Amino acid sequence: MSDNATSARAGISSPEASLTLRVRFSEWIDRHSRQLFITPAVVMILIFSIFPLVASLIIAFSRIRLRGGGYSVRFVGFDNFSKQIFGSEQFHFLGTFAPISALGWVFGLGVLGLVLFWLFKYATAKFTVLGFLGRVITASMAVGLAFMFAATLLSGKPFGTLGTTLFYVFVGCGIQFLIGLGLAFLCSQPIRGRNFFRVVFFIPMMITPIGVGYAFRMMADTTKGPFSPLWKWVGWGDFTWATDPWAARIFIVVADSWQWIPFIFIVLLAALENVPRDFVEAAQVDGASSREIFFDITWPQIVPVAATVMLIRVIEAFKIVDLPNIMTSGGPGIATESMSLHSLFAWRSLDLGQSSAVAYLLLFVTVVTCVSFFNLIVVGRMRANG
Amino acid sequence: MKHLFKKALGLAAAGCMTAIMPASAQDYNGVEVNILTRPGPVIAQRLVERGEEFTAMTGAKINVAEVPFAELFQKLLTDWATGTNSIDVGVFASGWAVEMVDGGLLEPLDGYIANDTKIDMDDIAPYFREFNQKIGGETYLITVDGDFQMLYYRRDILEEIGMEPPRTWDEYMTVAAAMHGKDMNGDGEADYGSCIFKKRNAQSYFAIMSMAAGFVQTKGTGHGIFFDPETMTPKVNNEAWAKAFEVYKATGEFGPPEELNHDIGDTRGLVQAGRCGMVIDWGDIGPLSIDESGAAIKDKMGAVIMPGSTEVLDEATGKLVACDATTCPNATDGINYSPFAAFGGWAGAINAKSDDQVKQAAYDFLSYVNQAAQSNVDVTMGWTGYNPYRNSQLNNTENWINAGFSEEFALNYLGAIKDSLNHPNMASDIRIPGAQQYTGVVLDRELARFLAGEITSQEAVANIEAGWEEITDDFGRESQATMYKLSLGITN
Amino acid sequence: MAERTLMERLFEPAQIGHMPVGTKIVVYSLLLFWTAFVLFPIYWVFITSFKSAVDVNSGPVYLPFIDFKPSLHAWKELFVFDWEDTLKAYTNSIIISLFATALSVLIGSMAAYALARIEYAPKFGSILIFVLSMIAAFVGVGVYGVDWRLACAVAVAVFFFLIKALGRFYAARLGNGDILFWMISQRILAPVVVVVPIYMMFQSVGLLDTHLAIILTYAVVNLPIVIWLMYDFFKSIPIELEESAQLDGATRLLTFFDIVLPLSKAGLAATTLLVMILAWNEYLLALFLSTSKAQTMPILVAAMNAGERGILWWNMSVVIVVMIIPVVVMAIILQRFIAKGMLLGAVKG
Repeated sequence: MSDNATSARAGISSPEASLTLRVRFSEWIDRHSRQLFITPAVVMILIFSIFPLVASLIIAFSRIRLRGGGYSVRFVGFDNFSKQIFGSEQFHFLGTFAPISALGWVFGLGVLGLVLFWLFKYATAKFTVLGFLGRVITASMAVGLAFMFAATLLSGKPFGTLGTTLFYVFVGCGIQFLIGLGLAFLCSQPIRGRNFFRVVFFIPMMITPIGVGYAFRMMADTTKGPFSPLWKWVGWGDFTWATDPWAARIFIVVADSWQWIPFIFIVLLAALENVPRDFVEAAQVDGASSREIFFDITWPQIVPVAATVMLIRVIEAFKIVDLPNIMTSGGPGIATESMSLHSLFAWRSLDLGQSSAVAYLLLFVTVVTCVSFFNLIVVGRMRANG
Repeated sequence: MKHLFKKALGLAAAGCMTAIMPASAQDYNGVEVNILTRPGPVIAQRLVERGEEFTAMTGAKINVAEVPFAELFQKLLTDWATGTNSIDVGVFASGWAVEMVDGGLLEPLDGYIANDTKIDMDDIAPYFREFNQKIGGETYLITVDGDFQMLYYRRDILEEIGMEPPRTWDEYMTVAAAMHGKDMNGDGEADYGSCIFKKRNAQSYFAIMSMAAGFVQTKGTGHGIFFDPETMTPKVNNEAWAKAFEVYKATGEFGPPEELNHDIGDTRGLVQAGRCGMVIDWGDIGPLSIDESGAAIKDKMGAVIMPGSTEVLDEATGKLVACDATTCPNATDGINYSPFAAFGGWAGAINAKSDDQVKQAAYDFLSYVNQAAQSNVDVTMGWTGYNPYRNSQLNNTENWINAGFSEEFALNYLGAIKDSLNHPNMASDIRIPGAQQYTGVVLDRELARFLAGEITSQEAVANIEAGWEEITDDFGRESQATMYKLSLGITN
Repeated sequence: MAERTLMERLFEPAQIGHMPVGTKIVVYSLLLFWTAFVLFPIYWVFITSFKSAVDVNSGPVYLPFIDFKPSLHAWKELFVFDWEDTLKAYTNSIIISLFATALSVLIGSMAAYALARIEYAPKFGSILIFVLSMIAAFVGVGVYGVDWRLACAVAVAVFFFLIKALGRFYAARLGNGDILFWMISQRILAPVVVVVPIYMMFQSVGLLDTHLAIILTYAVVNLPIVIWLMYDFFKSIPIELEESAQLDGATRLLTFFDIVLPLSKAGLAATTLLVMILAWNEYLLALFLSTSKAQTMPILVAAMNAGERGILWWNMSVVIVVMIIPVVVMAIILQRFIAKGMLLGAVKG
């Protein structure tokens, strides 16, 4: 079968000569298939990702200036990082710190306690060095972030781009997951026009993020946008999304959700439709309530897919840049500025060192979050489900 | 239709030019000049059209490439600094040139100008000739557009409420309050007394510098509004800048509710729709008001020099003191004006690494665009984005009336420009390495935080001082001081 | 039925032939609400492309011919007067996204298949040596101004020498999972960090402003997504078919192209569509790797923000509308695959 296919494909006229050649060639291929399959990908990633990665790591530890005939580099050690975390850019990256309020202490110490308890449980139950080390990193980042929020948001001061990014990631992705799941569930019902809804719901993902940004800027315009009569009618003619920090952040989450819910929706819909019907029917015969059916049968079936799709989504969400850039330019103040945008702004003003430093901090936060998510939730689930 | 008209006009002009100057000039057959600038129609479109004429005259091909404004500077600098050199000419904000000259990227042009009989440098207004085109006494740029900010107002509304154009920011607030809430375009809805863009990462920092200039600079263009030229200590952590911040925020009270998210484009849209009583803007509003999209404000706009102040900064104490003969030597009627050359205008510069013949062709093209015969027509058209910078443009109303200005408005508009341009106390934009970081990042960010209510005006100016000091130390204090002095024309 | 809660009615499993009327109303109204939410911004962009400046700036108007007189001025501007530029950007976008997608899907699915079926066990020490010698090369180029070709050659030579010399002293190995994670983690990096190094890289080989540069970059940027999705998909295909093919003497390559790929049509279609969308819409990298000849459509969108002259909403809307059309057509063609293909690793159980 396959032999016929190849000779037809090769279309060689003299069968004997070609046979030996072909055999030798396919033997060679067979022997090297291990390398052949993976080498192109590895080489491309090495060239295009590792070089820039290392180059920007060097930039992050130096002050670099573009000038005639190239650029000048001066090593400054951890200056770029300490400026973000302790120095003059602290308010920008972490937030404006205030003495921690009572609420802040409760929250911060609460998180600390929980994390310590969790670590203790892990250390006493099943202990591996690598696992413990990973958990310590996750735990210290969680505690650090908790105290950052305690000293800024919970003490009445604004937080910086790190907080904003986390808001986009956790609130945004949470909402997107819930709505995406809900829509997928509705569309998996026996309803008319499923294909219509499926295509329509998928459309927002196909629009270039820049276009989405501009479209939502028009939507949100309360003076000449489509909803301005509605705002006036409600009596909010003077209210504007763009001038209130929380409204602006929410508004960006709305646009982000508009664009990305389709992705989650389409994947989860596929997963839901893949749930074997006989399982559900058997359960119904047994008299299980529909809620039990959803949580005991459907949900475990779609969890692996849901975890993967959320992991992809979370990675992309950490990089959010076009929407805040276009809709609010990071304003009001620095309220809607994500870390990626922070890095972009630094880069536009030719401060490549700061730009790379912020990007590396982003990389660190993303990696810790994603790896924790993957190891603690996805792997745990998979083990639980066998 | 408009577009066809533009093309026709361009071709007609080309016809005239070829008739006047036969192919004698230069022969650049086979030479290609690659220009990079911001997206058209503004600035770029006219370069394309003039480029076609230039090709017909000399044979040199002019390619105009366009990248989004926010990315233009990075793109030029990366192309030139890494030695890619795919671009021969950049048409960009003149203020950016300092950094490029500092890196040795731009071709000095004095030699070319000496051999150029047509450019007539003396006709270019002194500010642009001496400050804008030059860096450290050497000409590197050819202006195609003259930029500084003025105050525009609705003459009809001002008459209606029986007031005079404001001279100080206090008067501005009074007039804005009186205008606010009136229906200015007849659609039955309340309109706004004052429109000043306040968006972050847009052009807001130009407006705040325009406001601060009148409080800070008193002793002529060489005085400067940013630093002490000797020590590079920022002159920003004081009552004068704090006051400017407060004024800027206060104008929002009489502005559109969304003003915090408005950039200049949004503001101009509102102005053209007839919804603003007063507006701070560059020279463009004049020609825009006779554009077809500005029908609602045709012949209704007036222009005046930027408001000044009766109180100015005492540098020793950092406090505001009353204007008198010693504190404000350049004051008129006790008011210190300091029109700010925001942005400095679009100008062309040539890549030092291009081939000699390309450089000569590039220079000839920039000179061609700059020459009175061409630019005096271009500046009267709103869509070109070119604003006047030559005396012959300012002293001669004929071109403007031909373009559709009423005589009254032409005189008023050109008068306001002349008042500003020839003002001995005109304030220069920041023109030292890192300019973008000083203003576009630190100043802009603190301004945005102040407007958003995150910090007070005192905290804002203190933060700016700290941020500026950091940048200065980063670039080297001595060299920055030298560059700053040069930019102010201090050559001791 | 009356005693059933709303939740229960909503969670009614799918195979029940008919839905109660109340559930039906709730379900359809939710779906229609979401349809409106999805379509309204698109509708608004669409009608804005027919509006004149005055219609946009002086307050909202909703219905063409009733509220305002639609005009084709923006369409004319882009497709009559500036048609050369528009067409250039459009063809660039099509060429770049097609080739980038093809390259990415081909290379990515090969790697994904290999990771799903073949055991790899690179030595940890070798990788460490490789990374260290590369860092040394970069430091040499960046700081001491060594020629990059020389530095790379030396680094590679040192790498092989050290492997030979030290290879027997370490034994720790990595597995397929680690390679997979490494490849996928490349997606985490924000484009703004890598754009300047990538720019310099293409500049040094003279490929700036060419299709090839952007195609290669997009292919790599999207490779992690392809590998990830296709890995899960290949894992879900029963291995028996391949084993029997191999017993028949088919090589791995043949097995892959003749047996595995046809079985993965749905997954390939979905992955292709996703990668194509990402490549079609990308902005920042395209901006830097192109100057004029290779400019793509998203740059045209951004260019309609004319700064001081305001945003040319009408022109921008035209660009967005013409950008949506081809992707929507693709999505409708591929839609029967999407549902199946987006399963990822769902079929494991």
